[in-house]
Amino acid sequence: MFRAKNLCRIAALLFLCSLGNSFAAESPLRFVTWKSETAQMWDQPIADFEKQNPGVKVIREIGPQSSTQLHDLITQKLKNRDTEMDVFVMDVIWPAEFASAGWALPLDRFFALAEQKQFLDAPIRANRYRDQIFGVPLFVDAGLLYYRKDLLEKYRIPPPRTWPELVQGAKTILAKEKDPQLVGFSGQFKQYEGLICNMMEYIVSNRGNLWDDQKLVSTLNQPPALAAVRFVRDHIIGEIAHRGVLAYEEPESLVLFTEGKAIFHRNWPYAWSVANDSQSSKIAGKVGMMPLPYFPGGKGAAALGGWQLAISRFSKKSELAWRFVSFMTSHAMQKRITLGTGRAPARAALYTDREVLDQLPQLGSLLETFKQAVPRPITPVYVPLSNIMQRYFSSVLALPDTNIDKRAAFAARDMDRVLDLVREAPAP
Amino acid sequence: MRSSHRLAFLFLLPSLIFVGLFAFYPIFESFRLSFYRSILTLPWLGQKMVGWENYTDLWTDPVAAQSLRTTLFFVVTTIPLELGIGLGMALVMNEVFRGRGLLRAVVLIPWAIPTVVSSQMWRFIFNDRYGLFNFVLFGGDASRYLAPLADPILAPMTIIVAEVWKTAPFVALIVLAGLQTIPDELYEAASIDGATAWQQFRHVTLPLLRPALLLALLFRTIDALRVFDLVFVMTQGGPADATNVLSFYGYKKIFAEGMVGYGSAIAVGVFLVSLILSLVYLQILKSSRLEGTAR
Amino acid sequence: MKRAVMLAIFSVGIGIYCLIPYLWFALTSWKSPAELTAIPPQLIPSFHWDFYRSALEERGLLRYIANSVIVAGTATGIAIAIGSVAAYALARFQLPWTNAYLLLLLVISMFPQIAIAGPVWNLLNHLDWLNTYRGLVAAYIALSLPLATWILTTFFREVPHEIEEAALIDGCSRFQTFYKIVLPIAAPGIFTAALLVFIYAWNEFFFALIVLTDPNLQTLPVGIALFPGEYTMPWGEIAAASTLATLPLIVLTLLFQRGIVRGLAAGAVKG
Repeated sequence: MFRAKNLCRIAALLFLCSLGNSFAAESPLRFVTWKSETAQMWDQPIADFEKQNPGVKVIREIGPQSSTQLHDLITQKLKNRDTEMDVFVMDVIWPAEFASAGWALPLDRFFALAEQKQFLDAPIRANRYRDQIFGVPLFVDAGLLYYRKDLLEKYRIPPPRTWPELVQGAKTILAKEKDPQLVGFSGQFKQYEGLICNMMEYIVSNRGNLWDDQKLVSTLNQPPALAAVRFVRDHIIGEIAHRGVLAYEEPESLVLFTEGKAIFHRNWPYAWSVANDSQSSKIAGKVGMMPLPYFPGGKGAAALGGWQLAISRFSKKSELAWRFVSFMTSHAMQKRITLGTGRAPARAALYTDREVLDQLPQLGSLLETFKQAVPRPITPVYVPLSNIMQRYFSSVLALPDTNIDKRAAFAARDMDRVLDLVREAPAP
Repeated sequence: MRSSHRLAFLFLLPSLIFVGLFAFYPIFESFRLSFYRSILTLPWLGQKMVGWENYTDLWTDPVAAQSLRTTLFFVVTTIPLELGIGLGMALVMNEVFRGRGLLRAVVLIPWAIPTVVSSQMWRFIFNDRYGLFNFVLFGGDASRYLAPLADPILAPMTIIVAEVWKTAPFVALIVLAGLQTIPDELYEAASIDGATAWQQFRHVTLPLLRPALLLALLFRTIDALRVFDLVFVMTQGGPADATNVLSFYGYKKIFAEGMVGYGSAIAVGVFLVSLILSLVYLQILKSSRLEGTAR
Repeated sequence: MKRAVMLAIFSVGIGIYCLIPYLWFALTSWKSPAELTAIPPQLIPSFHWDFYRSALEERGLLRYIANSVIVAGTATGIAIAIGSVAAYALARFQLPWTNAYLLLLLVISMFPQIAIAGPVWNLLNHLDWLNTYRGLVAAYIALSLPLATWILTTFFREVPHEIEEAALIDGCSRFQTFYKIVLPIAAPGIFTAALLVFIYAWNEFFFALIVLTDPNLQTLPVGIALFPGEYTMPWGEIAAASTLATLPLIVLTLLFQRGIVRGLAAGAVKG
């Protein structure tokens, strides 16, 4: 008898719970993105949009912080043709994959070429696949070198222009500072997507590349790439960074720097404001920022990052979704978000805007870096290729005795097999 | 059909519906997909039935072989540790003394904590700057601190530690249950015959504990082969694929790369390994029961 | 005397093993931000409540806990209800294929969850149950039924026939016999099974991650996994949230430890 009563209670509870869901707003716009530390990134713009469009509600769903994990969640919804997701953020390496899979809506009828030209070149190119555009860039990122201005000045070392100079400078400072907790370099070398960004910056600045996207073959086993990887293993990880960086993503590596425990630091532009925030950083005001070094004979290469907005192909409200996307990426909104969060905008005009430059003077010098930023190769099979490369890089960096040439050959062979899959892609 | 059978069927129906829909159907889907080449990001390749191709590829895939080795290493390390520590805990908890209830409650705590929480907890303990692990080993000398999660040799150990910490209590409970069914008279008889504590353990306790131990072994092996949550939160498979267990590899293939056919084949592979091991255990369990009743 | 000392040493050892990692994490939650990143790490915090405030107010911890309670509670209730009825049938009706069915359930639970996640998601999508409590609850019920049925069947087998026969002779229907006579006797087993199911549903992470993406509905494991922020790894908040998240479970296990042990004793070994 007690069981029956409990059964009824449970049934009632379940019924009530399911009711709770059906009382949700009628057909709101659903927007999936990562959680931001500041309200100015998503919450305030969304509130503004709702005010300007009475009757419309935007529900923001948060996914994991890590780009890799967010990707897996969003693709899960898309591959099952979920109609409950309308707008979502895309990392700069996703558009080709999402376009090929038929997950992102082509935006050409909304996003004309003339309008595309208002944005920086590199992100627009990353959003195009086969002569169509699939995303609208929101902000842009590029790899940068941060350094302790005070330490370099103290030992009269000029900001390094080449990687060997950087290593030399770090070694000098480490020897003279005699601080057992100080390290020469802090970067992101965990086995995840960020590792590709870091390693690509070394490889491309040595005039190598990850793969040849004309011939669709891997170039990891070519001499420039091998030399760059060898340099990282022997000199960066081996001499001036501590082995903990092999488990670092952006947050951990940045904390090492802002606590004053690292001389050089590689990160995205957002690190500038965090490092100079006297509330949370011990080195506020002592930070320098510059383009990444290169190898002699090569050219500095910053990995292109950034986020764009896309519309799901399965959304039933594409017109409304576009209104939201164009609102978020409008000149006024991008300016607001930039001023509020310090993120670098994707619209070119904002780099010469008086107000923006007043508050974020570093953006002026960053424009050149963004214009020359190197995108990771654009292909629908980027994720499998990235996983193969992550495995290769992580293995040779974490296990100092591995034979780099042999591992590179294996990785290249695996990459070629994946690249073969797209060789016979049908004409657009 | 006899009326009692009809009633039985009615009683079983809700169960069958749930299990059928949410367990049988997905498993068959997985099996079916493993015979197809299905790459979600390249839809123009179509969903082609490729027979055993995924399985032959799996057989020759060095990453899968490494993953299998990693998973098996994990299983053969955690299981004995869990059993040993669990058995030890159970023996202590079986004794009658004041505070026994409190000890039992304390022992349940690791098992009650969600895996996601304990993974974060261990991640923090093994942190290379502020972790307890380094503090205990090296005190304040930060220059000697290790980075276990960044080391291909130590990283699997951290996963093992996190797993054993959580599951040894579960084993302890099952073993304790077994211990409590052993009649005191047997121990008394053995004492009278002059057996030492160790001899009593070897000849009275262990044989009668066999069913409980094998049961714990069975459940834990099945779970250990499928370990996922810990790897997902603590290491994401790295560094250098050192913690890339089969479940995580399958996850990357299905969810990250969109290679659904191949990922399903990996899952079926894990399933088959579990099945074989379980059949072996059950066989031993059956024969030990026969032995037990014969005695 | 020697025995007492040995027991004391072992007990303390076991206590340390079980408690220290958790206590370390809990103590972390009371540190100030500066103490958190101090190198070397400080052992005793100065009892700042900042992280708790932040976890509760800014990260909606209470909502995650509430969602977990709803999902785990509902799943447990229904799973036990359905499982008990099924287990009774299996135990009582002398069906020839009982053991085969139980074995089949065991075999099902061997399949890696990552592979069935896709098809399950697909199914929930067709039913329009994604981002609803009932969707996740349904998945949890199905995934915990094998273990629950197994334990419950074992318990029901232990209920003496005579009592049931007597009730039947007195004119009770099968169903009345079931819930008036059998259930009270098998209570420890039901209790054990319920606890195991509840802990499973409370801890479950992967399905919750892919089924519930609406922040208002997300459960605790997902909430904690999503804590890592945009710029920083908020260890303080994670520690605070984790401590709060596990306190109810710890209290439950402390209160019911005797029942748990007794339940597992009867069920596990005979099974």
